[in-house]
Amino acid sequence: MKVITQEEIKAWLNQMASVQTVVAPCDMSGTLLFRPVKDCSEIVCGTGRTVMSAKEYLFPHTERLLHIERIGQDVRLVEMQPEEDILMFGLHPCDARGMLILDALFLEKPPQDAYYARRRKHMTLVGMACEEMGESCFCTTMGGGLDDPTGMDVMLTKTPGGFYAQAVTPKGRRLLETAGFPYTQAEKSAKVVHKADIPPIEAWPEHFMDAYWRQISERCISCRICAYVCPTCRCFDIRDEAIPTEGDGEFERIRCWDSCNSVNYRRTAGGHNSRLAKTQRLRNRFYCKFYYFPHQYGPVTCTGCGRCVDACPVNVDITEVIQQVYQHSR
Amino acid sequence: MTYEPKIIAFLCTWCSYTGADTAGIARLKSPANIRAVRVPCSGRVAPEWIMRAFDQGADGVLVLGCHIGECHYDSGNHRAAKRIPVLQELMSYAGLEPERLRLDWVSASEGERFSRITTEFTETLRTLGSLHWRLDDDRRVIQRGLIGNPTAVHKPFTPSQSYPAERYQDFTHQIQQVARSLLQSGEVEFVIGYEVGSRGRTRPAFIHKADDAERLVWNQDCTHNLSTYLTQKWGRPVPNERKAQIEQPHIAVVVKACDSRSVNIMLAESRFTRDKVHLIGVVCDGIRKGASFDTQPEGPLQTRCQVCENRLPVLYDTLIGEAPIEVPVFSPVKSSYGIDQLEAMSSAERMDFWLAQFDRCIRCYACRQTCPVCACPTCLYERDDSLWVGMGMGVNEKRTFHLGRAYHLAGRCIGCDECTRVCPMEIPVGLLSHKMSEEIFERFNYRAGLEATSPPFLTMLDQQEKAP
Repeated sequence: MKVITQEEIKAWLNQMASVQTVVAPCDMSGTLLFRPVKDCSEIVCGTGRTVMSAKEYLFPHTERLLHIERIGQDVRLVEMQPEEDILMFGLHPCDARGMLILDALFLEKPPQDAYYARRRKHMTLVGMACEEMGESCFCTTMGGGLDDPTGMDVMLTKTPGGFYAQAVTPKGRRLLETAGFPYTQAEKSAKVVHKADIPPIEAWPEHFMDAYWRQISERCISCRICAYVCPTCRCFDIRDEAIPTEGDGEFERIRCWDSCNSVNYRRTAGGHNSRLAKTQRLRNRFYCKFYYFPHQYGPVTCTGCGRCVDACPVNVDITEVIQQVYQHSR
Repeated sequence: MTYEPKIIAFLCTWCSYTGADTAGIARLKSPANIRAVRVPCSGRVAPEWIMRAFDQGADGVLVLGCHIGECHYDSGNHRAAKRIPVLQELMSYAGLEPERLRLDWVSASEGERFSRITTEFTETLRTLGSLHWRLDDDRRVIQRGLIGNPTAVHKPFTPSQSYPAERYQDFTHQIQQVARSLLQSGEVEFVIGYEVGSRGRTRPAFIHKADDAERLVWNQDCTHNLSTYLTQKWGRPVPNERKAQIEQPHIAVVVKACDSRSVNIMLAESRFTRDKVHLIGVVCDGIRKGASFDTQPEGPLQTRCQVCENRLPVLYDTLIGEAPIEVPVFSPVKSSYGIDQLEAMSSAERMDFWLAQFDRCIRCYACRQTCPVCACPTCLYERDDSLWVGMGMGVNEKRTFHLGRAYHLAGRCIGCDECTRVCPMEIPVGLLSHKMSEEIFERFNYRAGLEATSPPFLTMLDQQEKAP
């Protein structure tokens, strides 16, 4: 098997970074985040996962949809269209699988989301297989794997002399051929995928009224960490906002991430809020992941990346919830 | 085109606004850079307005009021004199040149003084140049290595003698016993304490039945400030249980020394009455660093514990434990957190530092949600409602939120540093509040939460401050 050396990868990345945006994990004051890099010496790869998932670049926390300008008596609307080519480097399998789940919502069922579709089209994913499971990772439980190439364009795996590459999609193969790297065709993950203990979709409805939801939500502080770090949470809110300018007035329509854990998430016009209690809100999070979404779109929306497990300040642990429902549904 | 600073001037209608008229009548020149906002009193000028002005593109803000002793409302200008220098300190800590905000006094007859102050101020701003809050792409990465590791300066305190495991087993046992008897007697509806959760992490536990009391534990990983659960910022309880909740339940809470101080703040602000809470105070040996503890944690004490001078809760109904075996040498707050390093920087460097930090913020609001004294039912900077801050995730919105919150906590923050702990992006949110606490201690010799009688510090005047 032919190996690409680390130097070759570096040279290639630097060359790519000079012609397009390359996004890779960087150490930002002690936090590992996907950030655009100009020089590959900034990249930190192979030391665990980023705090935020790669979803930031596909479904950004603030998407500018429309620019609205008043010119005299007229209004001019300009649709903002993301055109930038992005090469994502160093994604882990959980990031790529998260994107497939977002695809199910934004692309596969009509109407397609134009902004998402554009970003997706302009994005190339170069993944990096994990060497070991992190303390809170449980991707194998959710059907993934350490070297699972699903959803990537190119998958790199570390070997003693450097990396070997798998071309997963035709796009990935073109990329590798252009770079002149040796590659193999993608294979199914060699490691055993451990599938266990996920309650089936049918098991969820009967637990809706369980006292358990109240118990786990008592300590929830209703922050939005879990939704924001999640590679598959995709709720958003749209608003028109003024841009401070000197002229007649400029506005923009923005789409921002939202979280079902925030108190105002379910507030409707007139002020009624059907999920005023945090029990209802936290329960919704898990039902959305394991029941509502699979019901409507197919996949279970958890990739087992463990980000929410690590980031939750009060130890609301999604694996504990799955276990609870699983054990009571046998 | 030469640069002309934009200045917002808040003028008290009784004196400085009239003073400006006097200047006009006397045909004295005042610069045209001033945009005057007429207010009933300098005490009416909310610090949020000033921050808003800076957010919206003002290069400088001038607040003019009546001379001390001449306020139309007796002590309105005393309030301004108390608040605005504190705000100035905060803005300057965040990287704004302190000269951009000026508080001064002009009476109705002092047209000449008005003209002089405005001219001087405009000149100062001309030399400073325009206010530039933007974070360029290049500056996004400056943060690395800008502030050293504060613990490297101050060797963290690691207790040489580790406490015998029995000490915490004993505490655990006592807490369980107290909880059991409180629940059995029906004195409280539930007890909030700590339990060991998944992956060996200690987490908050809500105990409703006496039988469950055995879940409660005490160890050096009990980091959460549980008093935050006494506030009502989570939305209301489940509708069919709302009735029971309207009559506030009696709750027992396990509190450390720092947590008990936040209870004091809540009591002073009438969030609930003293009889509604039973405080199980625990003598605190300090909480150690680390994420997961299956066994006895061995790391150094958290920074907040190294600067904490209270080992005994300031307020409790039941006390667990006796004085600690070994009392650490308390580290000074500023050097332990690295605040002095920030203070030593230039304004521009500080702004780079803070904007780069805020840039990472994802607006998850965890810092606010976990904060025991951030108790407003609806936050002024809640993005879903706010007219003060936009919904987008620009660095401007995040800066507005963090600085606004820091100001609201000034004189109320008890230094539990939970905000820094919960931040998933490792933003040192607490550095803002700790700085403000130190500032207020230096200026007013006041520490928040030591007594329940102290009102929100910055909004109230004590007798001495009221006297002209």
